[in-house]
Amino acid sequence: MSTAGGSNPEYVTARVKARKSALYGDEEYRKLIRMGPAEIARFMEESDYEDEINALGSRHSGVDLIEYALNRNLAKQFDDLLRWADGRLYDLIARYLRKFDAWNVKTVIRGLYSGADRDAVSDDLIRAGEFDDEFLDRLLDAPSIEEVVERLSGTIFGPGLDDAYADYEDTDVLVPLENAIDRTYYSHLLEGLVVDEATQQYRELLEAEIDFRNARNALRLAQTGADIDPAEYFIKGGSLFSASELATLAKNRDELVSKIRESKYGDDLSDALDELESAESLIRFERALDVALLKYTDQLGHVFPLSITPIASYILAKEREVDNIRAIARGREAGLPEEQIEQELVIL
Amino acid sequence: MFEVLLQQTQAAAPAIEPSAAAALALGLAAFGAGYAERGIGAAAMGAIAEDDSLFVNGLILTVLPETLVILALVGFFLI
Repeated sequence: MSTAGGSNPEYVTARVKARKSALYGDEEYRKLIRMGPAEIARFMEESDYEDEINALGSRHSGVDLIEYALNRNLAKQFDDLLRWADGRLYDLIARYLRKFDAWNVKTVIRGLYSGADRDAVSDDLIRAGEFDDEFLDRLLDAPSIEEVVERLSGTIFGPGLDDAYADYEDTDVLVPLENAIDRTYYSHLLEGLVVDEATQQYRELLEAEIDFRNARNALRLAQTGADIDPAEYFIKGGSLFSASELATLAKNRDELVSKIRESKYGDDLSDALDELESAESLIRFERALDVALLKYTDQLGHVFPLSITPIASYILAKEREVDNIRAIARGREAGLPEEQIEQELVIL
Repeated sequence: MFEVLLQQTQAAAPAIEPSAAAALALGLAAFGAGYAERGIGAAAMGAIAEDDSLFVNGLILTVLPETLVILALVGFFLI
């Protein structure tokens, strides 16, 4: 903690860059793909995940051990970020990390919906956001989804969830609730963001994230052919689509693709778009979106080294790493061939 | 008469003596070096916290702005 109370990007970015260079690269992933769950756990024990594997090793084994170790490590890394940062930087990081509050709330609601038991849900939480352990435990203890919504009423998610709960009661699907959470998160992310040049770049990054998410949602809806109005699930704040535009585009995939191609993301995404046009595979398009976002943040981190962007880039990269290891472990467990697992990975 | 006297004293005594100006320059240089070291030091501490082997590099980079003060000191002796 600096006594001046100012922002300290030098310190945080230096640490973050050191951590980022320690993330797994191509070579490690290639090794991991050939390993079984037990070997992956051992490999992780020899790298950054040592503490978590040791702490959880006696209670869990196999893929569960990997999964919980990953979640715990993720939470630890992001708690570290908040511990290091001061002043305005802290504010920006905390804002971004509310993503995990959103994730946790979603997990709790999904757990209740599917009737999973409390411990299983608790192990899946990522305790990295603004909610402290005590509050999360109170959410976990809630007997029904209604009660969860009730307990969240004092937080930023309160108002959105209240409205969505009525929808949920009518339709009995979780989509309205989950979307309300996402929308609250993104609208708070951009709210009152002070603009200087570096924050302007950061804002563009967030807008890209929102645009990609909107595109993804629209494509998913188009793919399933479900009779849901895409405009209702539109996340505000992006620069590419407006709500009404998205509603018409979602019905026509070709138009949506050409719209993205003509936008400022066209160059970054052209490979992904070719893929989408030729194949029916939505998964590969989504992976390509992730890669494009990762590249974009990575490059921003070099343009403004003393701002939030290298940190945001680290957060995204770390999340991708955790997703990748999880995909490998789960894929190996299910006996998928190596090429198929490789397709699931998001590697820069 | 009085005005002439005033003009003469003004011409004879500059607002700041050369040695005082040199001292001021030295002080400002040291201030600049300190400010530069603040950022570098913070980044160096962050890097060292992650990886001990960076201690020497961190130390060297942190004291690099000291050269500013040394250059200002040269000016100080030239006066």
